[in-house]
Amino acid sequence: MSAVHWLSISEVSDAFAARSLSPVELLSTLLERIEKLDPQLHAFIRLDAEAALDAARAAATEIGAGRIRGPLHGVPIGVKDIIDVAGLPTTCHSKILLDNVARQDAAVIVRLRQAGAVIIGKLSTHEFAIGGPSFDLPFPPARNPWNLEHHPGGSSSGSGAGVCAGLFPAALGTDTGGSVRNPASACGVVGLKPTYGLVSRRGVFPLSFTLDHIGPLTRTVADSALMADAIAGYDSADPGSTASDARNFGRLLDSGVRGLRVGFVRHFHETDMPAHPEVTAALEEVVRVLQADGAKVDTITLPSLHEFAGINRVILCSEAWSIHGRWLRTRPGDYGQLGRRRLMPGAFMSAGDYVGAQRRRLQVIAAVENALRDVDVLMCGSSMDPASRIDDAAETQRTYPRQARTPFNVTGHPALAMMAGLASNGLPVSVQFAGRYFDDATVLRVAAAYERATAWYKLKPPIT
Amino acid sequence: MDEQLIVVLAHAAGLDKALAEFPEDVAAAAAQALNNTGVIKVPDDPAAEPWPPMRAGVGL
Repeated sequence: MSAVHWLSISEVSDAFAARSLSPVELLSTLLERIEKLDPQLHAFIRLDAEAALDAARAAATEIGAGRIRGPLHGVPIGVKDIIDVAGLPTTCHSKILLDNVARQDAAVIVRLRQAGAVIIGKLSTHEFAIGGPSFDLPFPPARNPWNLEHHPGGSSSGSGAGVCAGLFPAALGTDTGGSVRNPASACGVVGLKPTYGLVSRRGVFPLSFTLDHIGPLTRTVADSALMADAIAGYDSADPGSTASDARNFGRLLDSGVRGLRVGFVRHFHETDMPAHPEVTAALEEVVRVLQADGAKVDTITLPSLHEFAGINRVILCSEAWSIHGRWLRTRPGDYGQLGRRRLMPGAFMSAGDYVGAQRRRLQVIAAVENALRDVDVLMCGSSMDPASRIDDAAETQRTYPRQARTPFNVTGHPALAMMAGLASNGLPVSVQFAGRYFDDATVLRVAAAYERATAWYKLKPPIT
Repeated sequence: MDEQLIVVLAHAAGLDKALAEFPEDVAAAAAQALNNTGVIKVPDDPAAEPWPPMRAGVGL
């Protein structure tokens, strides 16, 4: 068996059922690892060890009595600090909300607790899920476990760094312009942005109402499916929630890709935003692997990545301005510089800009829907570069927007990013799969087939 | 975006304090707004609707 801190949710669940490991033993091991590593990683804003131990003891009692709620029972989960956990501050990594104690659990936390998960604490992010990585905030930015001098992606930075470093087997992140899939790409883990409307946003501090998604970060594709099973479901309190039949997201994990049609969106990384050569080479290798497993891979064309990014930013900035305008007018100095710069553009956009972006959005959605009539799943790059040094602000500013994640925030289709190898500098490179609405299971199916064929997930970062 | 226009728009948006304390950040935000709006091909068809459509009685 792997070291306890590297066990997947599936392995932990099996170990609990076999009585070879208890929730308290697992949590205690992880707490020791957090104590040792987090002073370098800064994944946590607030560790809630006491409450987690209480929850682990309760889970141990229930499991010991044979009342196993499911695969997440007794499993420690980290939570991005824009998601409410009752009794804990939701700071959004900002001075603006330092004293903002949540009165209730967010809908996703309610669901995780019902599944028996142990909430281990609140994780670092970019300020309000957009302003970072930054050093002028109340908490330091998270670091990349593959190389502490580099950023771990964002904005779900602590979620990606903590899962990657073996601080917890899974975490919740949020994704408005790619913020689950960016840390998944930078840290070499699995990040799923489920179909828009599948996971309730209630109790999650909004960045952009029509673009925000909540999704899991895990070390394996199977664990991603287990997390999606736990957190998906209709919520009448979320106006964007959809009463979908989509469930049992792991049901196709063992189906392989023989006969599946994959549409490879090459222009995203070849001409729109030419990728680092090692990213390009990794994507070609993904094609080879999928073809060897029986998939039919064809090149397809979508609207340009720049236009997807523009639509994303106009909508995001307009909606974010309606949230942050009051504080940016009265407390601009309480934001970090990147937060100010990324949240103020909405003040300079017109109502016509916003509605124009929403009108074009419907057309690009139609373009992606058309493409998905001819193929079962889309494949493209995620980050166009390995993660830059965290102290190199200019390089981070250059490379951060070089990504192909915004298309699926604009359209709402399910999308998953995962490791596709290591660059020569020892940092992960990644691939992204996207699928039809509420067909998250097929996205996970392709990812699982790729994972089986390559086993990148077995590589561990050098941090010990 | 013209510097004077930025100042006018910032005042109109109530960003007087930000303009006084962080003028470079205000200018950067204005430039970002311009960059992003400029790349979108807004539909010519007057009947092209925005997303999401109004859904009366749904989710309320």
